[in-house]
Amino acid sequence: MPNYVSVRTKTNRISFQIAKRTAWILLLLSLLLILITVLGLSAGSEFIHPVTVVKELLGYGNGDYDFVLHTLRLPRVLMALLVGAALGVAGLILQGIIRNPLAAPDIIGITSGASMGAIIFIVYFMGSVSIQFLPLAAILGAGIVSFIIYLLSWRKGVTPIRMVLIGIGISALAKAVVTMLLVISNVAATTKAYLWLTGSLYGANMQDVYLLLPWLVILMPLTFILARTVNVKELGDEIAIGLGVKVQVYRLLFLLISVMLAGSAVAFAGGIAFVGLVAPHMSRMLVGRSFAGLIPVTAIIGGIIVIVADMVARTAFLPKDLPTGVFTAAIGAPFFIYLLFRTRNQ
Amino acid sequence: MPKLSLQKKNFFVLFTLLLTFALLLVGCGEKTSNSSSSQENDKAEESNTESESSSREITHAMGTTTIEGTPTKIVTLYQGATDVAVAMGIKPVGVVESWAEAPVYNYMKNELDGVAIVGQETQPNLEEIAKLKPDLIIASKVRHEEIYDQLSQIAPTVAHETVFDFKGTAEMMGQAMNQEDKVNELLGDWDTRVADFQAKIKEKLGDKWPFHVSVVNFRADHARIYVTGYAGSILSELGFQGPKNLTDDSLEIVKLTDKESITQMNADVIYMFMENDETVKKTYEDWTNHPLWKELDAVKANQVYQVDEINWNLAGGITSANLMLDDIYDKFELEK
Repeated sequence: MPNYVSVRTKTNRISFQIAKRTAWILLLLSLLLILITVLGLSAGSEFIHPVTVVKELLGYGNGDYDFVLHTLRLPRVLMALLVGAALGVAGLILQGIIRNPLAAPDIIGITSGASMGAIIFIVYFMGSVSIQFLPLAAILGAGIVSFIIYLLSWRKGVTPIRMVLIGIGISALAKAVVTMLLVISNVAATTKAYLWLTGSLYGANMQDVYLLLPWLVILMPLTFILARTVNVKELGDEIAIGLGVKVQVYRLLFLLISVMLAGSAVAFAGGIAFVGLVAPHMSRMLVGRSFAGLIPVTAIIGGIIVIVADMVARTAFLPKDLPTGVFTAAIGAPFFIYLLFRTRNQ
Repeated sequence: MPKLSLQKKNFFVLFTLLLTFALLLVGCGEKTSNSSSSQENDKAEESNTESESSSREITHAMGTTTIEGTPTKIVTLYQGATDVAVAMGIKPVGVVESWAEAPVYNYMKNELDGVAIVGQETQPNLEEIAKLKPDLIIASKVRHEEIYDQLSQIAPTVAHETVFDFKGTAEMMGQAMNQEDKVNELLGDWDTRVADFQAKIKEKLGDKWPFHVSVVNFRADHARIYVTGYAGSILSELGFQGPKNLTDDSLEIVKLTDKESITQMNADVIYMFMENDETVKKTYEDWTNHPLWKELDAVKANQVYQVDEINWNLAGGITSANLMLDDIYDKFELEK
C-alpha cells in the first residue's frame, strides 16, 4: 500500500505528493484550529459560552454579544489566524530557498524594513496623516529593504549565504535607524513605536481583515503551485540546475512571495517575533520535509500560535490588554532553544 | 523513526486533552447572560429624558460629535482627563490605570475609590469599557486614534490632541459634559493663582526675575530635560524662561546620554524628579558628581530641588497643576 498520494496535472506543470499521514495530521490540525478559534472567541473580559459563540456566528444568536463578538473579538481572532499563517509560510519559504533552518522574516530584513517604515511614519506623520496609512508605510519599508538586500546580493545570480549575510547587515542598519528615531522622537510617538515593535493585534477591525485576506488568498495557492521546485532546490543549487530548475528565477519568485506574505502580516500586526521561525520547524517535526504538505500545516500551526498568544495577551492580566508579541516570543523562545539543544546532539 | 512516532503520540495526547476540555465546557451548559442588560437600558433611557434634551455638537481632534443632554457615566482614557473629571466633582465609571501608584494616583485615591480600571492608557481594554455602558468617553488622539471608531460605537467619544494640555482637556470636557460653568470656574481660579504668583515672585526677586528654569529627569541610562509639554507649558505660563544653553528648543524632551551635555541643563533653578529605583539613583549620583554639574548656575546658587514625579510629569491634570504650583510657591518661600 503506497504511503503517498501523487497529484499531477496533465502537463506535469503542477505536481506534488502528499503522504497519507500528512492528510490525517492536516485534518486533525484543522479541527484543532476550529476549536481554538471558538475558544479564542469565548475568552475575554466576559466569558461567552462556546455554544453561544457558534450560534451567534451562524446567525442563530439573540444578538446579545453583537458588539463584543463581531466588532471586537472576531476581527482580532481572524487577524491572528491570518498573520500567523502568513508569517509561518513566509518563514517556511525562506528556510527552503535559503536552505538554512535559522532563516526567518526577522533575519533577512523584512521585519526590520517594515519596522523602519512604520517608525518613520509614527515619528514624522502621525497626527497629520491618518493612522490607517501605517500598514502602507510598513509594507513599503519591507519591500524597499528586501529589494536592496536582493540587489546587493546579486553577483551573477544570488547565492543564499550571500543573501543571509547582507540581510543581517542591512537589518542592523535599519534597526540603527529605528533606534535613532526612538531617541529623537517625543514621548507619545516613542510609546506607540514600542507597542508597534512588540507586535499587537489590539484594535483590529474587519477592514484590516479584508485588506490582509487577499494577499493570502492569492499567495498561498501560488506557493502550492511552485512547491515542486522547492523540494529539488533543497538538494542544492548544482543538482537543481542539473535537473532543469531555473534556480535564479524561482529564487526571486519565492523571495517575492515571502516578502509579500511577511510584509503584509507585519504591516498590520507589527513586529510579532518567532512565528516565522518556529512554525515551519514544528510542522517539519509533524509531517517531514515534503514542501507541499508543509505549506498548509505551517499555515495552521502559525495561526494557532498567534491566536493562543493573543488570547493570553487579552485575558491573562485583565483588565489589561497587552501586546500579542510579548507572548509569541514567550511561546517561541523556549521552543527555539529546545530546537537548538536537540540539533546539537545530532 | 522511533523519535517521530513518539512525537506523533504526544500530538494526539495533546489533541485529546483539548478535545476533552472543549467537551467539558460544552457540557457545563450555557446559562447566564441576557435579562440583566435590558433593565439597565431602560434606566439609561429614563435619565436621558429627565435631563433637558439639549443636543450639542462638539468639535475635537477626531472630528465632530453630537452629545445629548448631560452625560453621567463617563470613562476617561488618559490621566489628565481623569484628574479633570475629579476636579469637576464627577467620579468616572471607568478610568485607565495610572503610570505610578497604580491603579490610581494617591492624590485622587479617595475620590476614585472603587472605580473600574479599564486597562492601560496605551491599550485600554475595549471589552471592559463596553461592559460599563458609558454615555461619554474622553480619549486622546495620540493614544487612541486607531480605536476611535470602536470607541464611538460604545458611546459618543471626544478626543483631545495630546495628553498633557490640562486646559484644553478641561475645556473639551466642560463642553462634552454640559458643565462649562464649572470648568470656567476652575480655569478662572487657576488664572487668579498664576497672577498672584507672578506678582509675588516679582516683588521677591526684583530685577533677577524672570528666572531660567530646567526640569530635569534622571533615568537608568540617561538624563532628560523636559522643555515643553505639561510642566514646561505651566512654567512658561508662570513667566519662567527655558534652559539657558539649550541648542534645540523645539523638542518636547531633550534626551542626554553623555555627561558632557550637562551644560545644556544650565538654568537659575532646577527642578528634578526621578523614579525611586537603585539604578536611577546611581545615574543621579554619577551625573551630579560630575564637575560640569557643579558649574551649573542653579547648583552654585543652591537652587536645585527634587519634586514629585506625578504632580510634575505623570498626571497632566488641573489638580496636579495646582499641586505643582504649590510646590513652586513653597520652594521660593512665597505665601500662598
